[in-house]
Amino acid sequence: MSILQALRYFFREAAVNLLRGWKVSLLAVLTIAVSLFIGGAFLLVSGNLSASVERWRGEMRVVIYLKPETSDADLRRLAAEAARAPGVHSVEPVGAAAARKRFQEVFPSLSDLVAGWQEEPLPASLEIGLDSRTAAAAPGREAWLAGWRHRPEVTLIDDDREWLGQLETAVAVVRAVGIALVAGLLGAAIFTIASVIRLTAYLHSEETGIMRLVGATEFFIRGPFYVEGLLQGLLGGLLATGALFGAFQFLHARGGGSSLFATILALDFLNPRQVAFLILLGGAAGLFGAVASLRREAL
Amino acid sequence: MIQFFHVSKQYPGGQSALDDVTFEIPRGQFVFMTGASGAGKTTLLRMIFREETPSSGQIVVNGRNVSSIPRSKIPYLRRTIGVVFQDFRLIPRKTIFENVTYLPRVLGVDTQDQKKMAYQALRRVGLAHRLNAFPPELSGGEQQRVAIARALINEPDILIADEPTGNLDPDLSWEILRLFLEVNLRGTTVILATHDRDTIQRVGRRVLTLDRGRLIQDQELVGTDPPALDPLAGTAEASIPDFEPSDAAESPPSEAPAEERPE
Repeated sequence: MSILQALRYFFREAAVNLLRGWKVSLLAVLTIAVSLFIGGAFLLVSGNLSASVERWRGEMRVVIYLKPETSDADLRRLAAEAARAPGVHSVEPVGAAAARKRFQEVFPSLSDLVAGWQEEPLPASLEIGLDSRTAAAAPGREAWLAGWRHRPEVTLIDDDREWLGQLETAVAVVRAVGIALVAGLLGAAIFTIASVIRLTAYLHSEETGIMRLVGATEFFIRGPFYVEGLLQGLLGGLLATGALFGAFQFLHARGGGSSLFATILALDFLNPRQVAFLILLGGAAGLFGAVASLRREAL
Repeated sequence: MIQFFHVSKQYPGGQSALDDVTFEIPRGQFVFMTGASGAGKTTLLRMIFREETPSSGQIVVNGRNVSSIPRSKIPYLRRTIGVVFQDFRLIPRKTIFENVTYLPRVLGVDTQDQKKMAYQALRRVGLAHRLNAFPPELSGGEQQRVAIARALINEPDILIADEPTGNLDPDLSWEILRLFLEVNLRGTTVILATHDRDTIQRVGRRVLTLDRGRLIQDQELVGTDPPALDPLAGTAEASIPDFEPSDAAESPPSEAPAEERPE
C-alpha cells in the first residue's frame, strides 16, 4: 500500500470516527479551541501593544515645561540651545498661549477650564523630538536631561522613555502570562484529546484486533487514530481563529475608532502567519495527544 | 509447512498450557485438533499465527521460525494465514463487504478489485447476494460463513479454525465443515480445533489429541460417513465463467457499499 493510499484511508476512517463520536470529538475540539482562543487573544494584544510601542518609540520626545514667567525670547533661545544637542531631530517651542489654544482644540468640552484666567493657566514648553534609534542609548543623554532639570527656567521634564519602558515591561508581562496560561490550557486540551482518542481506540478494539489478525501493520492500525487527533486539533485551531476574528470585529465595531481598544490593543488582527501558527499549533497538539495516548496502548 | 519442536508454554504463575509438543503438518493436509476444554488447543493455534509465543521450543511456519520472527514481520506472516473463530468476530456496524475486505484494504487493493475479491470469497461460501447486509441481519451459520470468506479472501496457505461450529446447530455445523474440507481440497492446509468427536469420526482425516497441554495422540482416521465434496464447489471457476458486473442479483455492486448501518 502506498503512502498516499494509506493517508487517504486514514483520513476517511478518521472522518468517520469523528462523525460517529461527534459528541466526545466536539468536547476535544472545543477544549483546544478555548485554549487557542485565549492564546490568540494574548498574541493579538501583545502584538498590538508591541506595535504601538514601536510606533511611539518613533515619535518619542522629551517635553520640558518652563516657568510661567519665561518670555518668548527666552523660549526661542532655549529652543535653539536644545536643538544643538546630539540625537535631537526637532524642537518645537510651545508658548503658554499656544498651549492653552491646543488644549481647547483637543478637549473642547473642557475648554472652560482654561478660559477666563488673568494669567495663562498652562506653562510654555519645549517639545523635543528624539532620534528613536539613539534616544535610549545616546551617550550623555541622562546628564543632558539632568542639566536641564537644574536650570532655573525649568519646572518639569516629561520623558517618554520612562513610560515607554514601563509599557515594554507590561507587554513582556502580558506575553509571559499568555504563554504560561496557554501552555497550561494546551496541556489540558492535549489531555482531553488523548482521552477521546483512547476512548475511540477502545471502542474500536474489536476491529483493530481483526485488522491485526489479518496482517495490518501497527502504522496502518494506529494511523486513523493519529489523524483523528490531528483533525480535532486543526478544527479546534480553525474554530479558535474564527471566534477570535469574530470577537475582534465585534469589539472593533462597538469600540469605535477613538477607544483605547481600537487604538492600542487591537489595531490590527493577527497576520496570516500567526493565524497559520495557531491552527498548526492546534493540529500539533492534537497529533501529540493522539500519539501520547496510544504510545503504551496495545490497542 | 508447520513444525512444532518441543514447544512448551507456561503462563505467569506457573500454569502450563502446552508441554513439550512436537508434530509436523505437511502442506495441504487437513488436521483436526481435539481435546477437552483447557487442553491447550487454542494456545497451540494462536502460536501458529504468533498471537502467543512459546516459553520454550521452536515453531516453524512456511520455513520461518515464528518464535523468533521480529514484531515488524508478524503482519506479513499473518497475511498467509486465515483464521476463523467460534464467535465469528464480525463488526456489526460494517457491511459484509467491509467485513470480508479487511485484508485487501490493508494490502492497498483498489475498491473495484476489493469488490471482485469479496464477491468471489462470498460466492465460495454461498453468500454473494448478502454483500451489502450487516452481520446482525444474518443467521449464525451465515455469519460464520462470512468469517470463513474473510479468512479465504487472499487465498491463504493455511486456514486455522478454532471451534468454528461451536455456536451452530448440527446441520449448520456440517455445512461449515464441508466448506473447510472443500477449501482443503483446493490445496489449503486446514487445522480445525474441535471437541466434537462424532464429527471427527464421521469425517476422518488426521487427528491430533491434546490433554492438559500434552500431545497424547496423533492418528489417521478413516471416516465413517465422509461428505461428498466438489473441489470447485462455490468457487469462481465453478460458478462464474466470466466476471459479470451487470448481473444485479449475483454480481458485485457497481458502487461501494454503504459505510455505515442506517440509523
